[in-house]
Formats: sequence, structure tokens, C-alpha cells
Amino acid sequence: MIRDLLRRAPSPATASPHDEVPALTVEDVTVRFAGLTALDGVGFTVAPGTVHALIGPNGAGKSSCFNVLSGVYRAASGSVRFGEAELTALPPHRIAALGVARTFQNIVLTRGTVADNLMLGRQTLTRAGFTATALRLPSVVREQREHRERVREIAEFTGLGALFDAPVALLSYGDRKRVELARALCMEPRLLLLDEPVAGMNTTERLGMARTIAHIRDALGISVLIVEHDMGMVMRMADEVTVLDFGRRIGGGTPEDVQRDPAVVQAYLGGDPADTAADAATPAPAPDSAPEPGAPHMKESP
Amino acid sequence: MSDRSAKAHTSVTDRVRALGPRRIAALAGCLLLLAPPLYLSSFWLQTGLFAMVAVIAAIGLNLLVGTAGQLSLGHAFFLAVGAYGYTWLADDTHRSGTADLSGLGLPPLLAFVAAVLLAGVAGAAFSPLSGRLRGMYLGVATLALIFFGHHAMLNAESYTGGFNGRTVPEMEILGLSLGDADDGLAVLGVPFGGLERLWYFGLVLVAVAALAARNLLKGRPGRALGALRDSEVAAAVMGVPAARYRAAAFTVSSMYAGAAGALLALAAQRVVPDYFSLLLSMDMLAMIVIGGLGSVAGAAAGAVFVSVLPQLLAHYSDALPLVVSAGSAEPGLGSADAARFLYGAALVLTLVFAPGGLVSLRGGRAARALRGLPRPRRPAPTLPSTSPQPSAGATTGGDTLKEHTP
Repeated sequence: MIRDLLRRAPSPATASPHDEVPALTVEDVTVRFAGLTALDGVGFTVAPGTVHALIGPNGAGKSSCFNVLSGVYRAASGSVRFGEAELTALPPHRIAALGVARTFQNIVLTRGTVADNLMLGRQTLTRAGFTATALRLPSVVREQREHRERVREIAEFTGLGALFDAPVALLSYGDRKRVELARALCMEPRLLLLDEPVAGMNTTERLGMARTIAHIRDALGISVLIVEHDMGMVMRMADEVTVLDFGRRIGGGTPEDVQRDPAVVQAYLGGDPADTAADAATPAPAPDSAPEPGAPHMKESP
Repeated sequence: MSDRSAKAHTSVTDRVRALGPRRIAALAGCLLLLAPPLYLSSFWLQTGLFAMVAVIAAIGLNLLVGTAGQLSLGHAFFLAVGAYGYTWLADDTHRSGTADLSGLGLPPLLAFVAAVLLAGVAGAAFSPLSGRLRGMYLGVATLALIFFGHHAMLNAESYTGGFNGRTVPEMEILGLSLGDADDGLAVLGVPFGGLERLWYFGLVLVAVAALAARNLLKGRPGRALGALRDSEVAAAVMGVPAARYRAAAFTVSSMYAGAAGALLALAAQRVVPDYFSLLLSMDMLAMIVIGGLGSVAGAAAGAVFVSVLPQLLAHYSDALPLVVSAGSAEPGLGSADAARFLYGAALVLTLVFAPGGLVSLRGGRAARALRGLPRPRRPAPTLPSTSPQPSAGATTGGDTLKEHTP
């Protein structure tokens, strides 16, 4: 039913201007902060319509990578291509207009209601300017109404339907995280960047969020790039994984490959490279057993 | 059939309910505002007009400070642009005393609109700075406007009349003069002079300013500006071009100030440089902080409070203990100083007890939403009655009331 809802073609006025989902190609991206190299020649490709996970210990450069993709940081060198567009040359609002949406590790919401926040996600899809809005021209009223309907659908889809007119200040942590996701979806993105979507959530909320993200990929066919510490979730959801450590790409491939990769295991568990061979011999946590709280799923303390 | 009538019945009650007591009260308030010219003396009408000027300017400044999170200390400059702009555009070139004054001699209404646009152009010209600088830093940069404006007002004598200022040509709409014309216009036996006519012009301006601001705040631009205020990074990745929106907010805000300045010129009938000082900018900031940042109603309430209070104190200085009229030799506090102390105190009280401003004290939507939540341990004390209405003096009689011609 939810799938039907999202598959249903939106009205022409609110339809996403983006038709097909291109691949995101990150090549040799380097980011430096005054001598500190946050990202060092990182490269990976997010295939269209897949869930790609970016993992690594704290300080590995995952968030820096997100900030480069969304235009918040400027890369010192390298390229990020999304279809035809070169993202490293664009300011954040132009990248947003290309259909790249992101959420934040620390929730960043605006004062006001859930609806206000979600409508902000329609910024690139709407046109009303200062003069037209101040005069409340009929076209502005119509645009507002149509987009509000679509936004309400997205709120229902993400489980925020009942909270649509509630002030975000009164929402629980999990619900606010959900508002962030819904706001990103309101941009009708082709590429969704999720920065730790389940951090700080309890098990029920995690499962709910994981289900929503899976629905998003299946129903919308968009690409999802996800940074997450919850290995159980990563291993279950991701089609492909890229592992960063100290700003370098140290591994990648399918979740199964990555779990067996000695370099990855060493980066997470530490120890000598010599010991790593032995570590690699013992199987890493199986995908299905991991997500229980208390299980050793490499969750870093917040 | 009965079903349909029942449905119709509910829809009517729904409509009444949707109107709500607040909406009805606001409507009644609006009607009440039409009455003062029939009853109040020119002193109170003038005070009311200055309050309207303050309301328009404060609503505009609030769009910038409260919604976009940008500070401006230079809004007095844009009031000056509006005031002098109107005067210059509407006045004819003539010789006044020793000075040659230039003017374009446009129809007054056109001059008024052009003055607002002129202030907008001045605000837009500042956009290289207003788009790039954030918060406090913009505030410091706008200080330069005050000094530039003061210098220009004193030295561009053929436009501004220099230190002595220049008289303001009367507003005229469709042949009806809004000045003290001797055309015998009277309503219900009350002769309608310039102030009475201007009162309604001011009301219309306030209504337009408030409605436009409300529309902006509720619409796409308002959401974008609020997002910029709360997090520039988040706003940018949502597709808000930060510099363009900041500059636009500054420009719109300066147009509000321009409209306020032009109305001020009409109400004062003479523009002088001294009025447009840093102090005026600070007063405007005090208005929106006392009233409530980011709210149209708050800005209006704060503006009325700050602009009417000095006049009230000056008028009733005889009746109040410790307060003497300004410039009096008697021991005591000058009424102007007393007003400053009072609104300084109001500012502090607001910041401590009602950080959301006067508007947060009136139980709004937030309060209703919070009703289900546990009570705070220490209930916030409420300030005593809020904005004095311009008609507050009406009950005290004496020189306040008009002498009705039978």
C-alpha cells in the first residue's frame, strides 16, 4: 500500500523534474584542513538505485565525504560526478536542485511545525518569490496547496502523518530524526545521503527506520548513500560497502566481502597486521545476529 | 433533506468556530482603530501616527532580524531615505530662505511609492555586504550607513535642506488633499484636518505592511529565511541560496523602513537630520525584542509600546509622581528620561521573563500544544497589561478629547 502511494504519479505540477537516476562517481577526492588531510584520494561509485554504505571508525572521513558531496566542503582535488554534473564545482543549493538530498548526523531542523520543515524540502521544486508571495498571488496559493498535499503524502509514508501540524520542538528524538528523513524525501531526490539515520535510536525505532529506508529504495528506485555505525543494519541493507579509515579507502565490495577483508577488521578491532590474518580466519559477526542491542555490532559510543 | 440541513448547520457553526474569538477580537480592534480621528485631539492623533510609523518599520526590521537572523543598526538610514526621498520627489524646486531646494514635483502618491522603491534600491545596493555578512557582523557594517546618512543629510543641502531640514509637501490622493486643506471636510460634525485624513492613510499602510509580512512569513521566502537563521548549512543543502536570500531580506526590510520614513515625513510635516540617528535604530530593535522576534503582531505591539510610552509620560508628567516635564527646572526625572528608564526596564523584564516577547504572553497555538505537557516547575510570571492602545487616553478626558462642534 505504501508502495502504491509513492509509485502513484504525482500531479504534473509537483512531479520531480528528474527522470532517471544517474550513477554517482567519486574519484580521487582529497580534502585538507590546514595541513590535516581529512580525505586522501577517496573514490567509489554508487550504482543507480542501490544502497551504498560508507563505514569506518570515528574520524575516518565519512562526514567530510558527505560534506563534499553536498557542496558544504570544497575538495582540494578530485571529482564527484552525478550524471553529467560535476558536483565539486557547484554551491550546495545548486547540488540540491540536481536532486541530491541529505540528512545530518546532528538533527538540524527549523523552528515551526513538521509541515513547515517538510515544505522547506520543496524549496527547489517551487518558484514563489518575494513579491508574488507578499501579494499572495493565485499562482502562489495554488503552488502552496499542491505541494502541501504531496508533502502530506510523504509525511504519511514516513509515519509522521499524525504529527503533521505539531511543532518540531515537541517531538521525540526519533521523530525528529524521521522529520529530517522526510524533509530530504520532500526534495524528490535522485540521490539520498543519510548521515547516521539511526544513531541514538532504540531498537524499535531502528527497525522502523531500516524498513522505511528499504521502502524508499524499492518504491522510488533512487540511490541511497548511507553513513552508519550500526553494522547489523549496514550489512542487512547495503548492496555495496565502502570502508574508510584515516581518510583513505581501505576496502569495499559487497557486505560479505567487506566482513572478510583483513584490513577492515584490523581498522575496526585494531591490532597488528600480523594478527589480522588470524582475525580474518574467525568469521566476523554474521549479518543476522548483529542488530540486537548488547551484541557486538561495532557500535561506537556516541 | 434533514440530513442536508444538519450539514449546512454544522458548516455554519464550523465557520463561526473557525473565525474564532481571536479573529473576532482582531476585527473589532480594527474597527476601533477607525474611530480615533472622531474623538481624539491632534496630539493623540500625531502620537498614533508616529506609532504607525514605528509599527511599519518594526515589522520590516523584524523580517530581517527575527526571521532571517540578521542584525541591522542602520535602519534609521532607510527611514531617512524614505522621508527625504518622498520630500524631494514630491516637492517642487523652490527657494526657501537662503537655500535653493531641488525637487521633482511628482504627484505625491507616486512620490510615496517611488520613495519606498528608492529605499529598496538603497537596501539592494548594500547587498554585497548584506548577502555575505552574518548576524552581528552585518550589524556592525550597517553602522556605517548611519554615519554616511548623517553626512549626506547635512551636506546635500539642495536635496535635504541641510541642518534645518525641509518642509514636506502634503499627500494628495485622487484630488483629496491629506493636509490641512480648507475645504470644509467634516465627518459627523468633526472637521477633518490633515492629521485626521493621514490617520486613515496610515492605517491602510499598516494593514498592507502587516498582510504582506504575514504572507511572506507563511510562504516560501519566509521558510527559507527561517532555515537560514537556524542553520545556514542545512538551508543551503535544502536549496536555499544563502547570499541571495539574505540580500533580499535586507532589501525588503529597507523598503518597509522607506515606507515608514515617508509616512513619518507626512506626519511630522518637516524632516530634520537629527531624528534619523543611531538612537532610532536602537529604538526599533528594542521594539521587536520587546514585542517578540519573528512575529508580525509582536513587532506591532512592541512598536506601539515603545513609541507611545514617552508621549504618555510627557503628557501626564504632572499627574505622575517623580516625573516632571522635560526641560523643567523642578527636581525630578524628566519625562523623556523616565520613558527611557521604563522601556529599558521593559526590555530587561521581557528578556528575563518572556524571551519570546509580548506576543508569547498571549496564549497562542504553542500554549495550546503545550497544554498536554507537564507544567513547568516554576510558572513564568506574566508582565502586566501589554500594548497601550492609542485610544487609551480617551477615557481620561480633559484636553485629550476633541471639542465637538455641535
